Amino acid sequence: MTPVCRIGAGAGFAGDRVDPAVALAASGQIDAIALECLAERTLIAALRARDTQPDGGADPRLRRRLSPLIPVAADRGCRIISNLGAANPAAAARQAASLAGELGRSGLRVAALLGDDVAHLTDRTEWEQPIDGRLLGAHAYLGADGMAAALAEGADIVLAGRVADSALFAAPALAAGEPDRARRAGALTVGHLLECTGQLTGGNFEPPGGGGLDAAALAGLGFPFAHVMADGSAELAVLEDAPGRVDPMTCTLQLLYEVHDPGRYITPDGVLDFTDISFEPIGRNRVRMTGAHLVGRPDRLKVIAFVEQRGIIADVEIGYAGTFALHRAQLAADTLRLRLRDWAEADLTIDMVGVNSILGAASAAMNAAPPELRVHVSARCEDAAAAQIVEDEVYALTLSGPAGGAGIRSERRPRIATISGLIPRDLVPWSLVWETAR
Amino acid sequence: MRVGDLCAGRSGDKGDMLDLTLVARDAAAYRTIERALTEDVVQRALNRTVPGEVRRYAVPGLLALKFVAPTALPGGVHASLHAGLHWQKAAIWLLLDLDVEASP
Repeated sequence: MTPVCRIGAGAGFAGDRVDPAVALAASGQIDAIALECLAERTLIAALRARDTQPDGGADPRLRRRLSPLIPVAADRGCRIISNLGAANPAAAARQAASLAGELGRSGLRVAALLGDDVAHLTDRTEWEQPIDGRLLGAHAYLGADGMAAALAEGADIVLAGRVADSALFAAPALAAGEPDRARRAGALTVGHLLECTGQLTGGNFEPPGGGGLDAAALAGLGFPFAHVMADGSAELAVLEDAPGRVDPMTCTLQLLYEVHDPGRYITPDGVLDFTDISFEPIGRNRVRMTGAHLVGRPDRLKVIAFVEQRGIIADVEIGYAGTFALHRAQLAADTLRLRLRDWAEADLTIDMVGVNSILGAASAAMNAAPPELRVHVSARCEDAAAAQIVEDEVYALTLSGPAGGAGIRSERRPRIATISGLIPRDLVPWSLVWETAR
Repeated sequence: MRVGDLCAGRSGDKGDMLDLTLVARDAAAYRTIERALTEDVVQRALNRTVPGEVRRYAVPGLLALKFVAPTALPGGVHASLHAGLHWQKAAIWLLLDLDVEASP
């Protein structure tokens, strides 16, 4: 069967590796590459940048990521789709067009997708919780329509802001012809499978009983690509010379990752039922997917608002080493609980990195005392002065606490709540603006 | 038997929700976890670390179970007082390190 589209996964988060994307584009084995680069934290930083300068708000890594990619992609006719537009897709498109010009690729057409910013529509959005604090921004998750339209109109690069991650990767397969229900289901499911790059090819994966890829394989891990077929089936693979593991188990874990109800996975472009899907190995690191179903289309889009709340979170750590380190760390933690007894219990966490800082009370009992560990404190504080008190109390342990407190580090972070809501689809029209590289 | 010897797993989040997936290595392993890891058992295991109820979804065709705890991460990962962000990726060991009895 001839694929409708061959799509590569070029990034799964803002800081993802650059080299696997370049390898995919250079292989000549894909028609388009999609890069998901917009996490919540990234968008918050972009909103702050846009506040201070009108041309700010695009992803600050745009240049680093696209410089090696644009030339190889242009040479192979591989289109680039990304949410590198962050809080300002139009500015990102200008930057990308100018970069393409610098790289000698004049004539390249860049489209920016606008419409996701719905900060002016907070009163038309049904929020899960009240917006309590300063609104930094509110964005709707757009679907693939606008990006597919841009590709159909000949865009070489499409830059969006907030869109559903799966839509970025599905757009190329929805751009060609008139996709029927089966192909839409296949394209959107493939979009979800590709959106976390290395998680489909053996990253963040430990097989039953342990083991898995070695350090050399993880360091060179290939990113996945997919062939989407007209009948809605697909093939998932990694480049032949790239290390990785693509099999029914890695595919199943990624298929079900963060989807909530596998029978009703809601994306802006359709509600998907994954419960009939099967994965069949058809070669080394190559899997055939069948059985994706589309069971509806949501009439409302998901919105995420960022709200800055009063106060600061202070994170502070202090280390202990040598014989009886665990005893001294426990002593330090108990001392801090006494010193910070004015803090409400819900606003203070004191635990030990190396013992119980991740899984808390469920951490397995230790068989041996650790040779070193760190006492960790996180405290919600009214203001900077209160954060200073928490930090000073930890530093004070070096003079008045258990022996040998060392290696202190501290940081402060703002309190930003993410609040979800739903907005009627027809209130969120999309539009495209175009730039051409000169 | 340790669940992690029968399954691979992965955990993630969406807003306040903790989302965990187990995939069994074969049909016998799936029968074991399908019988042993009820909503109650998993809720008790998760509640040692995070609050709230647990919902289970079974996908037998893929030998997979999903567990979703909608209120486990109040305020989302950015509001967490855990050491470091995105600690929820390690939460799958709350399930992988459980002991279960093999089903016949």
